[in-house]
Amino acid sequence: MKKLVYDILNKTKTLGVTFADVRYTSTDDETIFFEKGSLKHYGRNLDAEAIGVRVLIDGCWGFAGTDIMKTVEIDKTIKKAIENARQGAKFRTRKVDYIPQKSVQTSYFFQPEEDPFLMDNQTKLNYLQNISQNMTTVPKIVYSYIYNIYYRQYKIYANTEGTFVDTLVYDVLPSMYVLANNGKESMCRTYPGHMNGRRGGFEVVRAIEMEKNTAIIMEEAIKLLDAPRIEEEKADIIIGGGHLALQLHESVGHATEADRIFGKEISYAGKTFIKPNMLGNFKYGSPIVNIYSDSTDTRGMGFHPVDDEGTPGKRADLIKNGILLDQQTSREIAPLLGLQPSSNMLASYADDIPLVRMTNFCLAPGKGSLADLIADTENGYLIDHTKTWSIDDNRNNFQFTTEIGWKIKNGAITGIVKEPTYFGITPQFWNACDRICGEEEWEMQGTFHCGKGEPGQTMHLSHGVAPARFRDIVVNIKA
Amino acid sequence: MILKLKELLLQICQEYSELKFVFHLRNWHTDFLRFYQSQTNYNISKSSLSLRTTIYKGKRSYGFSLNDPTEEKLREKITEIEGFIDSLPEDPDFVDIEANTAKSAEKQKKDNRLEVNLEKKIAILQHLAHTVEPHNFKIYGTFICNYRNLYIVNSNGLDKHEINSPIYLEVKAVKQDTEVTVLETFGGEDFSHFNLERFTGNLLAKVIAGSNEITDLDAGEYKVILAPRCIGEFFSYLMGSASARTLDNKTSFFEDKIDQKVFPETISLTDDPDHPEMIQFEYTGSGFPYQKLKIIEKGVFRNYMVDNYYAHKLNMKETGSEASALVMDTGDKSLTEMINSIDKGIYISSLHYMNFINHKETSLTGLTRDGTFLIENGKITRVINNLRFTEKISHIIENIIAVEDKAVTVPFSHNYGHFGIESCRMPHVIVDNFKITSSTGTI
Repeated sequence: MKKLVYDILNKTKTLGVTFADVRYTSTDDETIFFEKGSLKHYGRNLDAEAIGVRVLIDGCWGFAGTDIMKTVEIDKTIKKAIENARQGAKFRTRKVDYIPQKSVQTSYFFQPEEDPFLMDNQTKLNYLQNISQNMTTVPKIVYSYIYNIYYRQYKIYANTEGTFVDTLVYDVLPSMYVLANNGKESMCRTYPGHMNGRRGGFEVVRAIEMEKNTAIIMEEAIKLLDAPRIEEEKADIIIGGGHLALQLHESVGHATEADRIFGKEISYAGKTFIKPNMLGNFKYGSPIVNIYSDSTDTRGMGFHPVDDEGTPGKRADLIKNGILLDQQTSREIAPLLGLQPSSNMLASYADDIPLVRMTNFCLAPGKGSLADLIADTENGYLIDHTKTWSIDDNRNNFQFTTEIGWKIKNGAITGIVKEPTYFGITPQFWNACDRICGEEEWEMQGTFHCGKGEPGQTMHLSHGVAPARFRDIVVNIKA
Repeated sequence: MILKLKELLLQICQEYSELKFVFHLRNWHTDFLRFYQSQTNYNISKSSLSLRTTIYKGKRSYGFSLNDPTEEKLREKITEIEGFIDSLPEDPDFVDIEANTAKSAEKQKKDNRLEVNLEKKIAILQHLAHTVEPHNFKIYGTFICNYRNLYIVNSNGLDKHEINSPIYLEVKAVKQDTEVTVLETFGGEDFSHFNLERFTGNLLAKVIAGSNEITDLDAGEYKVILAPRCIGEFFSYLMGSASARTLDNKTSFFEDKIDQKVFPETISLTDDPDHPEMIQFEYTGSGFPYQKLKIIEKGVFRNYMVDNYYAHKLNMKETGSEASALVMDTGDKSLTEMINSIDKGIYISSLHYMNFINHKETSLTGLTRDGTFLIENGKITRVINNLRFTEKISHIIENIIAVEDKAVTVPFSHNYGHFGIESCRMPHVIVDNFKITSSTGTI
């Protein structure tokens, strides 16, 4: 396959091509889905190959991709990429200025402890079936499911600057859900929650102990049916890691994707409230808020030695002591902001264009345990496990609902509340952050489903977070 | 080549007496122009040949996909699955795969990638860019043409073919100093319905409205005019509740409401896959002929959408509907009359980032986008910063007090995977007591 990639790259070196890159991916995934104790779907897609060719001609990008790996189709793809760039240049007023990068040659092969693609089918099925059947034993639990997705991708990236990199990664997405119903209403609980993607193999599934948590989420879902809702207008909230990862993702992660500043994603994903003149002076959060993008951290699904345009992996401190310093950028966009490329250009598959994407996007830990933080809270709520999320076109106004909240009074949990819903404006919210838990509570959360771009792509990425407290937040919104 | 592959699938269905097969053989292409700041962002072409297969043995099943399938790859997979399918747990609810072999009259469709080629696309975009430029607006968006051949073959004798070639043009004009954004779209499979003069006129009218002063609005309940795109999106979200799957999962708003009056008499909603100005569908995912279905008739909930699996499981009749072509009946008011009837209210052009809080209650939150306008004394007067609403869809539809006397086609894209494009046909509506819960403070 390496030879094929070199051959394609050589074929792009026609008159007028100032830069070209070629990507090849071979992707495997497997899904197991039990619903109400029965296996409803079991399937594998193996060796899903794709090729993508990107060329820069006369200051305009052209791209073509295919999953048909025949020579004639690949030749058509190369030709189409070149034609697309040439035609596109006729409707281009400013040429793309692409800063050169040093070439890199490297490989990275992740090895899971328990390879889900090599292990026995029956072991996986039995493990999940037992849990699924346990979820059908309680009458008020009217619906339940459990699913696992296992994923691995081999990728080659090569460009006309001489960079050539190949990688192999494994990710896993375990999830379970129960729905309780009392004849009047329904309440749900999930585990491990919305941000359930992790780098690794079946060892990740075992480590999260779904079997131990089944009884807990069933009991909580049933209790939620009769639980009160939050009545105060404003409250202090502690956000658990499972949901804080999404809060970070939506209100900082997407907001600091610099392609949005220039309107490249207005059509679908949207804009950002951040303007170039905010860099270096805008108070995004309180002084304890430190946020960074780090594609060198091998624990997260966002790790890569080189991104999908040839920039080596790196850590970029985006917000330091609350001040906005940097952005997630590309080689095209970084110079427009006076920044260095941050190694955030990625595509889901080879036949997708690379976009500015989050990698391992993290909130740096503070100090202390979650128990300390609860004990330090006079009146408020601990909330976790995302139920609903929504944020505006500029990543400024958000509203989230979690599956469950725990009322805190005088430093102790006193009961649960259903569907806690809070609203905020991004910078005000992060400036209201007064405590972040320490290393001992800091964990990599993650998703397989970060959507962006047209044609749309879903990206695997991680968020390192520890629970944090936010003061005086609006919490009384109801439909 | 694809016909040879299809013949192979028919042959395989005959060869195995103990196994049943469901095949979806898809050959898909897209020419996808992304533009921003009135210039090309990316020109993208993609092509794909894939085979999705599910193999059944009694109540056991296993699925897999092959990109660029060959006979060798397919037979190798089948042999592998034969070796372990008996060890899989059964699905006690499964009865049989689709058995309806009736074919729709196959429609010949042009390949719109050739009809609306890159040269034509660029000429249209240059015209639009020049039109809005004097008003300090630039255009952003996508101009897409797909072409897809889909064959659905199964062991119950299904041998069906559908061609689909949707066109999707989305133009957002953005004011360069204020970022006020307005939207105009075209969607369908017949480009002769595209009228450049009308499209330009509509976009320009919105650009002029978007040049007005910007104001903010407090939270509260307002009379709002929902543009066709918005009411279409609310109905689309509600249709989850009209599926037999949510009825089975106990999350349907319509549970126990069949033949009951749930909305005002002015509300009628049909899934109509044959409408000439919309993107048309011949078959559902299982290969059942896609059929016109009344979902809401004069406010009465009439039908769930039932697929093959849930038809067997819930002992219901399969309906051949997937809410991919929703049409709302028109009313008796012109848009001008609707605007004139409002002393203080809001015109909402488009919605953004909606998500359910509780499916069964239809409660959700979301935002306005791409042009939100203040109506004062019967006229659109100012631009409003984007707003957040927290509402129940059932409440919104119950509170529709006027329906426009004409409807337009609105395209929607699924965006992911093979960029499925669907459309709906909706009029403007006036909704009373629409609950705005906050302002974003930004455009």
